[in-house]
Amino acid sequence: MTLPLPTLAEPDHFSLGEKLLFAALAAASLASFLRRFAPIVSRILHAKKDADFHLFPLGRRIWDFFWEVLCQAKVIRQRPLPGLAHALVFWAFCAFVVVTLNHCALVFGSGFLAPASAPGRAYSYFAALFALACAAGILGLFVRRFFLRPRWFGKDLSWESGLIALLIFALMVTYLAAFFAHGPLAVRSLWWAHTLTLLLFLPIIPHTKHLHLVLSPVTIFLSRGGFSRIPLLHGDEDFGLVAGKDLTQIAALQAYSCVECGRCTEHCPANNTGKTLNPKDVVLGLRAYLNALGPASEEPLLGRYNAQEAVFQCTTCGACEFQCPVGIEHLPLIVGLRRGAVNTGAWEDAHGAKFFLALEKGSNALGLPASEREKFIEKNALPLFDGTQEYCLWLGCMGGYDPRGREIVLALVKVLRYLKVSFGVLRKEKCTGDPVRRLGNDLLFQQLAESNLETLTSSKTKKIISICPHCVRTIQEDWKEFGLPPAVEHHSEFLARHLGVLKGHDFSRAESSQEGRVLQVPSLGPGKAQPSSEQKEETEKVVFHDPCYLGRYRNIYDEPRAVVSLAGELVEAPRHKERSFCCGAGGGLAFLGEEKGQRVSHARAAELAATGASVVAAACPFCNTMFRDALAAQGPGAPELVDIAQLAARGLPQNPASNQTENASA
Amino acid sequence: MKIIVAIKQVPERDAPLRIASDAKGIEERELQWAMNEPDAYALEEALQLKEKHGGEVVIVSAGPERVGATIREALAKGADRGIHIVADDLAARDALGVAQLLAAAVKPESPDLVLTGLQSEDLGLGQTGVILAELLNLPHASLILQVEISSADSPQAQIKAKRELEEGWFQSIEMPTPAVLTIQSGGNKLRYATLMGIKRAKTKELRTLDATSLGAAAAPVAVLDKITLPQKKKSTQIIPGAAKEAAATLVEKLKSEARVL
Repeated sequence: MTLPLPTLAEPDHFSLGEKLLFAALAAASLASFLRRFAPIVSRILHAKKDADFHLFPLGRRIWDFFWEVLCQAKVIRQRPLPGLAHALVFWAFCAFVVVTLNHCALVFGSGFLAPASAPGRAYSYFAALFALACAAGILGLFVRRFFLRPRWFGKDLSWESGLIALLIFALMVTYLAAFFAHGPLAVRSLWWAHTLTLLLFLPIIPHTKHLHLVLSPVTIFLSRGGFSRIPLLHGDEDFGLVAGKDLTQIAALQAYSCVECGRCTEHCPANNTGKTLNPKDVVLGLRAYLNALGPASEEPLLGRYNAQEAVFQCTTCGACEFQCPVGIEHLPLIVGLRRGAVNTGAWEDAHGAKFFLALEKGSNALGLPASEREKFIEKNALPLFDGTQEYCLWLGCMGGYDPRGREIVLALVKVLRYLKVSFGVLRKEKCTGDPVRRLGNDLLFQQLAESNLETLTSSKTKKIISICPHCVRTIQEDWKEFGLPPAVEHHSEFLARHLGVLKGHDFSRAESSQEGRVLQVPSLGPGKAQPSSEQKEETEKVVFHDPCYLGRYRNIYDEPRAVVSLAGELVEAPRHKERSFCCGAGGGLAFLGEEKGQRVSHARAAELAATGASVVAAACPFCNTMFRDALAAQGPGAPELVDIAQLAARGLPQNPASNQTENASA
Repeated sequence: MKIIVAIKQVPERDAPLRIASDAKGIEERELQWAMNEPDAYALEEALQLKEKHGGEVVIVSAGPERVGATIREALAKGADRGIHIVADDLAARDALGVAQLLAAAVKPESPDLVLTGLQSEDLGLGQTGVILAELLNLPHASLILQVEISSADSPQAQIKAKRELEEGWFQSIEMPTPAVLTIQSGGNKLRYATLMGIKRAKTKELRTLDATSLGAAAAPVAVLDKITLPQKKKSTQIIPGAAKEAAATLVEKLKSEARVL
């Protein structure tokens, strides 16, 4: 039995009165839309030009547009259910472009998709499928917003969102109902209902978050690209985002594109631990500023619409920028506001000022005398880099001065020596400037970057290896403003490349000797217990914490995991890889004293411990130092904390001298 | 009110210090230089007084060409103009000789207040400021942590200053202006250098005076014989044996050798 498929019913003619009424209403709707939209466009266009903006190459832009706008890839991947609901609405809107054009053309007798014709029938069924999906999608989103009410939507219900959802639902229902309409009056009524809904919808777009319908495809296409790309300062009067006159066109476009979905808020470590910062409010604050004062204003951006306190609570973990589905680049905005406050001296913070002063005079972020680093190098007989070795081992402030950081460096040194890779350390090193860069102190950052670049050039460094993702990022990306930095890699990348050789050894204290591991370690150190046969069955569970500056900033996820797999069974925390939750140290916050609310490090350490792993593996000395305290606060039974370099070094044969000292201390 | 801050450039704290071959000074090659910290506090006090009462902050510093960078740093932090007394023989002068140079540059400015650090981080003589006051024939006070000024605009402006004494005691003193105060570190919070400050400093006036034009250098009253590094005495002892015996030996040694018990 075949079910006769209904046909879409349309009015077959329109009276002159109807034609005039439609023309008048359409003109009014469009005019009302433009009256509200034009000032926004004008504010964006009158903002400062982005001095370092280049439209070309277009390849990345076209791909971003295809992948993020047309395919809705980011929308779906990071929030699968609501993302899919949104994508259905979006795709339906695309399918309805033709329907709507035909709908309007029909009034003037020039409809091009007769429902009875084969292409017309096919398209109407195609559109009807999307209409069904869209109605279901918008219903789901409505239920989520008004009944499930996720935290990041804020306390107040958005009635305009409700109205929009109702209008979209009405658009779809009036279209679908026309398949089942009988009689000219019903058909005509449905046509008018659909049309009026559409004409009502249009003027609501510009002054609500539905502006993203129009702007976000452009925003995604025109984004600066890269991750956390901090723009250059131009000329003698550019100090970052001080006042409205400093907001660039891209920044203004992004501010108006925010769809208030709150993904940034959901993932923000500061916001999740009771701080004032809400990345969504930073963007909306800029929008409110532009609406009230315009892009030429001299009034400080930090004040009425954005709080200085909030901006300096950011760990620059980049979760917001990574999550944003409409192409907003939060970090250039937040760091830009910090630059505006620090470069003009408006930021007065006891810890911050002390930290800057220590780096103005000294060499490292920890404020210790440089002789401490020399002593460490001397004591451990680290070779000095003389230009002949393959790698310059960059110690960084943590590796050169912090006791835990030094242990990580020494573990890496052990691996380098075992692999017979030649390396040397610099006689003098200064902080790369990462914390001051993120805090917005361009003067100090420039001094540190230039001084270091000079040292590296004169020492003929070609390749740098570092245990610190912050150093790696800053050397590779941020120093570019002041010269050509040498190639640099994080030790996880190096270790992963040498897995083949390292695999031959027994890395765990109690790991089974698997088949296929031909190169068994010939002799364990005398002080090391032979794994008992019972222990051999157990595999240590290791949870890996993705450092923000290695993961989201550098896209390195698999390499450290491969290293972890050498030593035990890798387990994942609920938030991992791109969604990893910050340790709380980034953005210079490690140096700004006690935080408000819950400590970010404690929140993350609890999450890592809850995986049941007996080892927490980090790959960043800052994460390490944060978790050292946070795990200690968990009391006895807390997992052991190591760096992946320490895992890699664990199974290597000891050289006799170091073995003795280890036994002595054990 | 017009405030003059006398600043000295000293080797950076982390700088590797080597004694020069003639043992009369340190090897200056490869050294990096910074503002003497007590002078930085004097500058901060001056800037805060200016912010409260208005007026002008003028920097005076004596030394070779490199001193210009430190004066610029002070201008970047908010001072209004600088006077650089170009003198290549600063190390050969004693505190009196340096104070004479400073006094010659300060006198024509007729300031309301002269501030300087109570001592330098390199030589630590603690005399230049007070000798300067004598040469200018002005009242002075040393070891000042905080300065308050009443009726700043009138010629009868009075200073109320907090002076550090020993063992946690402080003295509150009152004195007339003009005066010379030597400032102790730690009374204020120092401000950091900013990009805007550096850019604005480029356009500020930095006048140079030739030391020889300020009068012939007096023969030093105090002559430096030689400088040496302190003798390193390694006196760590590791007491062997079980904890109980080792503790007993330790107590004995603390009694008889260290004589602290």
